[in-house]
Amino acid sequence: MNRSLVLLIGLSLAAPAFAQNSPDDIVLRSMTDELERSRTLRIPGLEAPYFIEFTLDDAHVFSTAAALGATLSNSDNRLRVPRVKVRVGDAKFDNTNYIYSDFGSGGGESAPVDNDYRVLRRGWWLAADRAYKGAVESIARKRAALKNVTQNENLPDLWPAPPAQQKLPARPAASATNAVWVERIRTLSATFLDYPEVVASTVSFNTTRSTFSMVNTEGTVLQRPEPLTHLQASAAAFAPDGMTVRDSLSLPRTEEKSVPPQEELSKSISQLAENVRALTKASVGENYSGPVLFEGIAGPQVLAELLAPNFALGRRPVGEPGRQIPFLASELENRIESKILPDFLTIIDDPTKKEWNGASLLGSYEIDEEGVVPKPVTLVEKGRLKTFLLTRQPVRGQQGTNGRARLPGGFGAWQASISNLFVNSSESVKAADLRKQFLKLVTDRQKPWGIVVKRMDFPSGASNEEARRLIQAAQQSGAVRPVSAPVLIYKVFPDGREELIRGVRFRGLTIRSLRDIVAVSEEQYPLHYLNNMLPFALMSGGGYVAPASVIGPALLFEDLELERPTDDVPKLPLVPAPELRAATKK
Amino acid sequence: MIPRQPCYSEGVSKVTLVAGLLATAACFGQPAPLLDTLKAELERNMGVLKEKADPQPYFLQYGVIEQQSQSWTGTFGALQNEGKSHTRILDVNMRVGNRKLDNYHSSGRGERLQFSSPMLLPLEDSAVDEIRRRAWLETDRTYRRAAQRLINLKTSTQVRVAAEDDSDDFSTESPSAQVLPLPKLDPGKIDWAGRVRTWSGLFSKYPSVLGSAVSVRMATENRYLVNSEGTRVQHGRGFARITMMAQGKADDGMDLFTTESFEAENVKDLPDEKAVETAAGRVAQELTNLLKAPVVDPFVGPAILSGRAAAVFFHEIFGHRIEGHRQKDESEGQTFTKMVNGKVLPDFLSITFDPTQKKSGNVDLNGTYAYDDEGVKARPVKVVENGTLKTFLMSRSPIRNFPNSNGHGRKQAGLDVVSRQSNLIVESSKKVSEEKLRDMLIEEIRRQNKPYGFRFDQVTGGFTTTSRASLQAYTVIPLIVYRVYPDGRPDELVRGVDIVGTPLASFQRIIATGDRLDVFNGYCGAESGSVPVAAVSPALLVSEIEIQKKDKGRDRPPLLPAPPANPGGAL
Repeated sequence: MNRSLVLLIGLSLAAPAFAQNSPDDIVLRSMTDELERSRTLRIPGLEAPYFIEFTLDDAHVFSTAAALGATLSNSDNRLRVPRVKVRVGDAKFDNTNYIYSDFGSGGGESAPVDNDYRVLRRGWWLAADRAYKGAVESIARKRAALKNVTQNENLPDLWPAPPAQQKLPARPAASATNAVWVERIRTLSATFLDYPEVVASTVSFNTTRSTFSMVNTEGTVLQRPEPLTHLQASAAAFAPDGMTVRDSLSLPRTEEKSVPPQEELSKSISQLAENVRALTKASVGENYSGPVLFEGIAGPQVLAELLAPNFALGRRPVGEPGRQIPFLASELENRIESKILPDFLTIIDDPTKKEWNGASLLGSYEIDEEGVVPKPVTLVEKGRLKTFLLTRQPVRGQQGTNGRARLPGGFGAWQASISNLFVNSSESVKAADLRKQFLKLVTDRQKPWGIVVKRMDFPSGASNEEARRLIQAAQQSGAVRPVSAPVLIYKVFPDGREELIRGVRFRGLTIRSLRDIVAVSEEQYPLHYLNNMLPFALMSGGGYVAPASVIGPALLFEDLELERPTDDVPKLPLVPAPELRAATKK
Repeated sequence: MIPRQPCYSEGVSKVTLVAGLLATAACFGQPAPLLDTLKAELERNMGVLKEKADPQPYFLQYGVIEQQSQSWTGTFGALQNEGKSHTRILDVNMRVGNRKLDNYHSSGRGERLQFSSPMLLPLEDSAVDEIRRRAWLETDRTYRRAAQRLINLKTSTQVRVAAEDDSDDFSTESPSAQVLPLPKLDPGKIDWAGRVRTWSGLFSKYPSVLGSAVSVRMATENRYLVNSEGTRVQHGRGFARITMMAQGKADDGMDLFTTESFEAENVKDLPDEKAVETAAGRVAQELTNLLKAPVVDPFVGPAILSGRAAAVFFHEIFGHRIEGHRQKDESEGQTFTKMVNGKVLPDFLSITFDPTQKKSGNVDLNGTYAYDDEGVKARPVKVVENGTLKTFLMSRSPIRNFPNSNGHGRKQAGLDVVSRQSNLIVESSKKVSEEKLRDMLIEEIRRQNKPYGFRFDQVTGGFTTTSRASLQAYTVIPLIVYRVYPDGRPDELVRGVDIVGTPLASFQRIIATGDRLDVFNGYCGAESGSVPVAAVSPALLVSEIEIQKKDKGRDRPPLLPAPPANPGGAL
């Protein structure tokens, strides 16, 4: 199985009648029938199940990658990933929210791709059996663990939710065949033949035609398509001093047909190459402290990176003495009603909105993965934190779910994620005026120049190795969560002149910095990305993703710090790059 | 099917083909565009590095492993998954310094050295630009790591005591140049998905089989290699495989499984449908019987290892200990290091590793290849002659008294070479018929006054530790084991045992062998990854073998009975 496979969560359409005995019906039938029987799972003297949930991700994943006009790899896989959750005890106290709750819940299993009722049902039978045995063991160990630790607060283990039904028909076939995509991607990758200084480049395309099915013992039945396509490109070059400069492009779409036309993609790829070319010529930035303006997409990028992971509260599981708990708390924990943003900003998470400015939003869905219907939620009102994104996992200080279960989580629970995040302002100025305000700040502070960021590396195209370095650097400077590096960052002089710089990163840019936003633009910019809960939403990370959109303004900060990392820069390769033959032939 | 791509033009008459020499000559002229691209880039990089780099590299190798595969897995009559994959992976190997001391010099503490990272290459030979770019970038990265390591080494070797084995770090070999025709992956017109459905469906008839799978995988593995000494080789082979597995749980919670597999170089040489069906029935029936079999207690006594079991026994216990690099690594147990020209096996046994042997009987051997992953031509290596150890399995990493490779430097894509096994062939001069061997077992049981002995029919594999820090022991995992009684009672199937032991002692206990060779084909995992291997052996009679209880699962069998086959069906 392809581990970096991107499966997806969320999204829906209006529901016409569901065909009986269709392949999807056989799948659902195998689930409901065995779920019913699983209620009777029992080991004498031990707890009975009170809640069972079966989910199935049925995915057909096609991907292709190319470089300099040549295909690097193609893959085409069908797979079905089943998951079974069994809760024993009762909603007040069950086997979840404990460090070893996921024991015996399986993983790495696959269900047959054939629509064979008997074999599918056998799979559920054995998976439920394992999950039940794991659950009774887990609740016993959790009880034992609680004899040694005192819990701060007695929370139940599962919030109630009314049952929901949603059955949506499978999506129409792909807009283009796989062979067409291979050709389109290969052609796009040839763009870099015109940029000999770009030493490494890749263009890739991944489309997941997937169906999500879920049934639980409370009567919830969900079955819906969850398609996702993702076009990515990355390019890197050496600056004259040997520093590697790079940029990347990430275009996630729910539907293949909403991938921009080839001409537009070609322009985006050329722009990417131009960016890298410009970066090789840019001078190395220096340490800086002063006004910073995040223009255009950089505004929502900063907001998404700093806020999105912290809006999901999560819950620290019951641990065992001496055991480290793999849990990173939200930086907003215990800060309800605190001021986290300036008074003029309000943030709403709204999965019910499908479009913004005529374009599709990526984070829309009608029912979450636990079968709960979401409503728009005001997370921040006039700068004050009002609530969190919640699932059926009870968390401190909050009552009930608000239907944000979008990703598989740990310790027996689902994890919350943002959907469509709207960052609205009651006071804003035209982007052009925001820049004037910024320049005035620079002049008032008697700075020779200020800093404007036009693009952050978020979601990040960093390699795993580079990501590891960034995380380490952040930890050394005491940050809980590392922040991605700026890609297009400029010195802007009082006369408006811009100079691209490279090799600097933010120091101390955290969620607390957001209170110091002095002004925002009237214009809003859409960021569409795949939230996978990894640092920088690292694109190479794979795993499960929750498609999300963040609509936000440009941001002006009065004071932020930039530093030039002290790491050694490797020298340029001794051997010059090979000449491009195809380019010479042109 | 995986027909070999002919290296002659269509018009060549059959008469020409019969003349092997002529056909080979024709192959030399075969274009090899990937080799040409790699060679040009290698020479360009080496040229500049030799001129500008300090420290200088003295050896550079580009090796590409191209794997193309297709596979199908079925379970209880349904297709579980199917997949296709095609990749080309480039590994860059560079040696900086000189043969006496280079970046691969071992500190003698069992550390793993890896200077390059696997690099995906375009699938088309025509993608010259990208192939060169990628080779260049990886060469640069490899050089940086290799040079750094050499600088560190030079400092530390001056500090530490001299190693016991002061042989060179890299051997001198004459370059190889050959372009062999490459196989192409072609599953033919057979509906393989349908076949795995049918075959796996046979397991549905056995209620105690909880899990089962039947897989078909066919692949080609083609290798392209150039180095700065002038080696330029291209070769490849096919791998076709059918595997099946049935798994169940005994009433006491013990997890048990039975397996069968068939390997062939070409798809057409896989067994026919009937034979696979028979095997599936046998695997399911064996599991069913095994689940009801009694559990045995730890025991020491005489036993017969079937040919296949003996083959695994030799691979694990003997083969891994004569891999050359272990003789130089001071963290290794070095069981045989100082036993060259000494007795390691009974006089009547000889062992040869022969990657050039293609078949044993009519079974294709899995460990056959033309060149190893350092471009050294494959050759038979007689490691034990009449019980006396003669040599080790050598890569280009020399050890004391063995300055050259014997074509056993192997690896999987993405890893660095170490010496590995190929086709292990056991020859015996003390052969008796299988019936006679059994009579001898009964005799031995009586002689030792034991209530019974054992017959190990099938084993699934095993593992062994060769590190000095741990016990020099091995475990072989039998699947099908019978208790043999001296009083004429029928053999009794038993479960829950592993064979354990220490190598030197175990070899002394071999009394005689059978007269029929059996083949164990498989994949062996070690430092340089998974490589295809085979072991061929006759059955062995041993005077003493030790068995221990198998670690057993604690979970009870499923709480609910199997569900009905159809919606609304009765239980």
